[in-house]
Amino acid sequence: MDDIDAMFSDLLGEMDLLTQSLGVETLPPEPPSSSSKENNFSMGFADMNVESLNELEENDLDALMADLMADLNDTEEKLAAELGGQKEAEAPHPDLPPASHGLSFYPESSLSTPTSPERGPNTFSAPLADSPAPILSPPTLPQHAKLSMEEIEAQMKADKIKLALEKLKEAKVKKLVVKVVMHDGSSKTLMVDERQTVRDVLDNLFEKTHCDCNVDWSLSETNPELQLERGFEDHENLVDPLSAWTRDSENKVLFQERPDKYEVFKNPQNFYLWKKDKKTIKDMKDRDKELLVEENFCGTSIIVPDLEGVLYLREDGKKSWKQRLFLLRASGIYYVPKGKSKTSRDLVCFVQFDNVNVYYGKEFKNKYKAPTDFCFVLKHPQIQKESQYIKYLCCDDAWTMNLWVTGIRIAKYGKSLYENYKTSMKKAAITTAWTNRTAGTTSIPSTPSPTTKAKASGQANGHAPQPPAEPVAKVGNAPPPPPPMLPTQILPPPPPDPVLPPPPPPQATKKSPPATSVPRQLPSLPTSFPPLPTSMANLPPPPPSLSQDDSSESPPDFLPPPPPTLGFGPGAGSLPPPPPVSFLPPPPPDPGFPLPPPPPDPAFCPVTNRDSLPAPPPRQSNIGAGAPPPPPPPPSASAGLQSTPSVRRTGPPPPKRTTPPLAAPGGGDFMSELAKAMAKKRGNQ
Amino acid sequence: LPLSLSLSLSLSMAVWDLSVTVEDLGADAPPITVSVTSDLHIGGVILKLVEKSQVKRDWSDHALWWEQKQQWLLRTAWTLEKCGIQADAGLIFMAQHKSLRLGLPNGLTLRLRACFSGPVFRTVLGICKMLNIRRPEELSLLRPVEEKKKKKDKDLSEELHDLTEVPLTSVSRPCLYNGMPAHFADSLQTEKVYKMLSVSQPAPAPEAIAKLYRPASVVDKAHIHSRWLDSSRSLMQQGVQENDRLWLRFKYYCFHDLEPKYDVVRLTQMYEQARWAILLEDIDCTEEEMLLFGAIQYHINKLSLLEPQTMTSSPAMDDLDSALQGLEVKLDGAESSPQDMLENLTAPELNDYLKIFRPKRLTLKGYKQYWFKFKDASISYYKSKEESLGEPIQQINLKGCEAAPDVNVAGQKFCIKLLIPAPEGMNEVYLRCENEEQYSRWMAACRLASKGKSLADRLFQSEVQSILSFLAMQQTNPNTHTDDSMSINTHSLVSPRYSKKYKVKQLTPRILEAYQNVAQLSLTDALLRFLQIWQALPDFGISFVVVRFKGSRKDEVLGIAPNRLIRIDLGVGDVVKTWRYNNMRQWNVNWDIRQVAIEFDGNVNMAFSCVTADCKIVHEFIGGYIFMSTRSREQSDTLNEELFHKLTGGHEAL
Repeated sequence: MDDIDAMFSDLLGEMDLLTQSLGVETLPPEPPSSSSKENNFSMGFADMNVESLNELEENDLDALMADLMADLNDTEEKLAAELGGQKEAEAPHPDLPPASHGLSFYPESSLSTPTSPERGPNTFSAPLADSPAPILSPPTLPQHAKLSMEEIEAQMKADKIKLALEKLKEAKVKKLVVKVVMHDGSSKTLMVDERQTVRDVLDNLFEKTHCDCNVDWSLSETNPELQLERGFEDHENLVDPLSAWTRDSENKVLFQERPDKYEVFKNPQNFYLWKKDKKTIKDMKDRDKELLVEENFCGTSIIVPDLEGVLYLREDGKKSWKQRLFLLRASGIYYVPKGKSKTSRDLVCFVQFDNVNVYYGKEFKNKYKAPTDFCFVLKHPQIQKESQYIKYLCCDDAWTMNLWVTGIRIAKYGKSLYENYKTSMKKAAITTAWTNRTAGTTSIPSTPSPTTKAKASGQANGHAPQPPAEPVAKVGNAPPPPPPMLPTQILPPPPPDPVLPPPPPPQATKKSPPATSVPRQLPSLPTSFPPLPTSMANLPPPPPSLSQDDSSESPPDFLPPPPPTLGFGPGAGSLPPPPPVSFLPPPPPDPGFPLPPPPPDPAFCPVTNRDSLPAPPPRQSNIGAGAPPPPPPPPSASAGLQSTPSVRRTGPPPPKRTTPPLAAPGGGDFMSELAKAMAKKRGNQ
Repeated sequence: LPLSLSLSLSLSMAVWDLSVTVEDLGADAPPITVSVTSDLHIGGVILKLVEKSQVKRDWSDHALWWEQKQQWLLRTAWTLEKCGIQADAGLIFMAQHKSLRLGLPNGLTLRLRACFSGPVFRTVLGICKMLNIRRPEELSLLRPVEEKKKKKDKDLSEELHDLTEVPLTSVSRPCLYNGMPAHFADSLQTEKVYKMLSVSQPAPAPEAIAKLYRPASVVDKAHIHSRWLDSSRSLMQQGVQENDRLWLRFKYYCFHDLEPKYDVVRLTQMYEQARWAILLEDIDCTEEEMLLFGAIQYHINKLSLLEPQTMTSSPAMDDLDSALQGLEVKLDGAESSPQDMLENLTAPELNDYLKIFRPKRLTLKGYKQYWFKFKDASISYYKSKEESLGEPIQQINLKGCEAAPDVNVAGQKFCIKLLIPAPEGMNEVYLRCENEEQYSRWMAACRLASKGKSLADRLFQSEVQSILSFLAMQQTNPNTHTDDSMSINTHSLVSPRYSKKYKVKQLTPRILEAYQNVAQLSLTDALLRFLQIWQALPDFGISFVVVRFKGSRKDEVLGIAPNRLIRIDLGVGDVVKTWRYNNMRQWNVNWDIRQVAIEFDGNVNMAFSCVTADCKIVHEFIGGYIFMSTRSREQSDTLNEELFHKLTGGHEAL
């Protein structure tokens, strides 16, 4: 616990510095008094070593803050849900202090209301015992319950400990703030948690940009010091390689199209039949290409292209490059020693792929006096500076280099590569279907007709077509097409705000990545996007085209228009605004405003909770905090729209506001329980 | 003309004597003679024969074999005249199913009753059904390599496994009983046979491997492929006698639809065939690959000994994987009690005095003793135990590191060599432990940490055990008693070439090193991994035949692979050219001059005659692979036998 606290205060210091250096009174961190809850994000923030915070622009910071808060709230809400159920059951329990204790400005009433449907397994206990023989409960239950009150208490205690432990686990999830350099040179900052794969992040970026989602889009890292570049594979966890970067690293993450990424599946003959004459390769029929892919990737074992050829190897510590005959096998790269034959048993292993990644080298002719600029490098991902453990190879031409790098990737990643490709194709096909469908429409697209849906899904399932011939950019100012939604809105939609990391599941963390990735693979609604009619019933009307333009002018962020209500500092109007979530949860930032925020009108909260209506009511309560009047329709519309898809997952802002008090005392309680339990356990040992 | 007509008419109506040898009466018994007319059909002959023999038994499996013409008379409705049988035909009345000694891929011999009358393809179908091997079209029979019998026959000892008692009719029942097909569950003896089929065999003694025949060249390998039986003809027709020895092997190297749940025997035998192919250098691999193969063999051996039930009782243990996953969920999920979770969070640690040596720090001091603490995935060290509450001298994070053993049991040297990645490169660190026990714990911890796992991982104990057992292998001192089943001579895991090249104590640490990467695999996964690595070898699945190409004056080698034909220079061993079946237009065999001619897209033609094997074998290989490639497209599970014969039969099929 101590180091968490220490970390947290570190973070606060860092944040303070940051806000000062920016000279803007942006969002300050949560007051430390708001308890262990914030550990969730403080842990994440403490890991923010990827880039120095100073580099962050203000809007980045806002977005980040939104991320963090949303993330935090998300977790809390889930816990609150569980706890709420529990709380109802054990209202008179003395161990749990009233939630409003110490933090009275949060409405207490909202604590239990949103969560009652999600009662824990222990809800049968006390209240039920008194009820007149409910059909569901066996007749013996009251008696039993009375007899075992102590057991039940113990059980509750145990459950609470469990909850606390889950929270701890959740807090352990590592998060990084990553600045991604876009293809146009601009950059975008996102928060990535360690469970997210590159695929997740790409999907996230697809939502944030107007790119065509074709399979070539990839994330790659550059290392300027070593002049290296590597495209991440879609199945990799992005946080892993980034964690290897040094604190002062100038490495960058790029979001760009890399035709080499899946070239092997588009033109497998170039890799598997490279020995054949050029004409045969060029005239390859599509059916034959498919067969070739099938042959090499769909069998019980992945077949690695049998590459062999003379490459230049940079001698250890010397500046010379020496030629050797290298062979690629599934088990590694080998070379033929002098005076030996090419037979397998004579080969000498040059490198195996378990612990190394393959990188393209840039301008090695200059840097290392390489014979050509077509170089690739094999090194442990942790190595960031020049070292004898880096292996440098040089090829005669780009073609050969591509052959080898791709071959090594196939050997290293095997089937995952093909799975990644298939996932990418599905993604691209869905997007294509939508682009094609909505290219003509200029008005706000409505729910897709069933036929289109069928078509889209058909394409997604079968052999996906090639990426669209016409880029999305041509669509101009038309809003991005809504991705095909699930037939009904009953299913929880994908996370609405792409910046959000997937909501941390409350339990079974091991299982969680697949679980979260499922909705991620589905196309999710871009935030600026009008909602589908089904969910629109009780919502404000869609935003006027003005706000549409506004958001499409700054497409990368999909940020809603600035919320004038808060009036942060000087730049609030002109700067790209923070997403709506960000202006709700954090306590008033203004240091010159010492008063604690007055409690929002309690009358609103139950309503918002019950109806899951988003922004408007609480914002009004914010007005009470002394802020300027709420903005007219556009922002409210977009804010409302934004949260609609998220109703189930992230929840509307009001509960977020109300969760801290719940979590604070509750969490504190857990912590002490946990401490006790741990002490007891140690005692037992 | 009328004369001859009347003559034949009178002849056909005439009654004549046909004598038939009844095999079951014994070799000395005289043939039974029955009176027949030429228009009597075969079924009638058999009826008369049975009546006359006066033996009461089930004759339903019996049929007439025409010795002189080497053919079965299986069409019972055909008349003697239609079959062309006259009084001088030497017919033998015998059972169609006879006992056969079948050499299995695992090297053991099984006696069973196989069909001698149907085409070999059918025979293999029957055998596989009895052995519970799916996809029988991938297997076939071949004549064994003659064994050098220098010493007195040891063959008798190998006749341990017998399935001849299993009634043929019972095999059709597909139901499982006690985790095995019902026909194996009938007796203890057959249960043992099933275990032999479904569990991989323990590692052979290195001497045994060395004694076995190893092909030394491509030509040797080509000769093996001349031994395949003709799938279109029966065993009898190919001169196979009762109780002869034949090998059952996977012939076509494209394994369709491998499903561990149903393919226990198939998977095991496939592994055995692969293992022996590696051990006998039938397929070439590099040293690194050989060591990895050795490590997986070791792992499979160990698992097969420890839990022989996992494979046999397949329905219960269906999915070891899913069971393990369930366990993981339990450990992680909400179902676990707070105590469990506490246990997970309060990870155990290791604390010991160890010696450390960092060769890069140009100190001459060598190993220096510190108090070491292993927690989570990192090692911290302190001046002494007392100071271990304060700041460590250094903390080393082991995630992503390489941990290699540097051990000499005889010299009581137990070092762990760590290569720890850092931005500047790899840092070399040596940790020296006092004894085996300490070493195995720290080594296991380092291994797990390198993969990002903590000591709390359930693999820790098994990792410790496997390190200890590997150390035991190096133990030259026989005084220390170790579990026999665990101590495998590492020489039995590699081919004789490497047995000669390395001593056991050199080989063992290297296999142990490779073993790290496979130690977590379940038995099924280990088998699959072995097969995958085998299949990923460049030479995998190539069957060689020495041929003479049309227009060429020298012998060359034709390699027949699942997807292509390869022309290989006999002298140098280089690939001269490859042709893919995808581009094949047609292939023809001129049975008179025994020449195979193939036409590919773009008017590419080639023709060759076969030197080491009959051209029927080559024809069957090509047709067989094309048949195999049709399977994936048609989803049905039924075997298109007719198509197989069409593609492989040659002139007999037409």
